[in-house]
Amino acid sequence: MTVEQQTVMTGAETDALLGRHETGVLSLARGDEPYAVPISYGYDAGTRQFCMRLVSTPGSQKRRFLTDAPLVRFVVYEETEAAYCSVIADGRLERLPKSELTADHVKRYGTAKRPLFEMWGEPKAELTIDLYELDPEELSGRRIEVD
Amino acid sequence: MTGGTQLTFHCPTCGESMAVNAPMREALLNHGCVVCGTPVPQSAFSAPEPNGDTEC
Ligand SMILES: [Zn+2]
Repeated sequence: MTVEQQTVMTGAETDALLGRHETGVLSLARGDEPYAVPISYGYDAGTRQFCMRLVSTPGSQKRRFLTDAPLVRFVVYEETEAAYCSVIADGRLERLPKSELTADHVKRYGTAKRPLFEMWGEPKAELTIDLYELDPEELSGRRIEVD
Repeated sequence: MTGGTQLTFHCPTCGESMAVNAPMREALLNHGCVVCGTPVPQSAFSAPEPNGDTEC
């Protein structure tokens, strides 16, 4: 077996990893029922906040889990030959009412990719895109060096 | 009629529509639709309601 070394990433390393990725896995829960979905995101290293667009259809599973301010865990990871890195963000996902959008929000969401994994095949009228922000209570990164 | 005039933004891709001011219009043109992320054309903006007296 190889010896694995796990280290805590610095804030700057964590910001850099989040900056060079565009997608992650968002986990939601209802009671003891889990729900995880890959989504695209934008990350502002200045405020350490995420912005996300979540697409759902009427009656979709996702919508059942998306209450107004659910507690979530968001995970972004990367694997290279030398290391395996992951960033975990925990916090409350806050829905951003469209009536409260400012030019600043437009700019921030401009850094987030279009919802890559989402179901654009559905008739557009059926799709709801909601905007959410995550200001994590905890944001941490870890690296495992692989020899 | 100037400065703070509200325009209506209507995204041709996702269908979202909302009242916007001048800085919002600039931001949408520069960064794309805030809701769906696709580029926004100039034609996505219009006066919120027609003036009424000149309909043809
Ligand atoms: Zn749109």
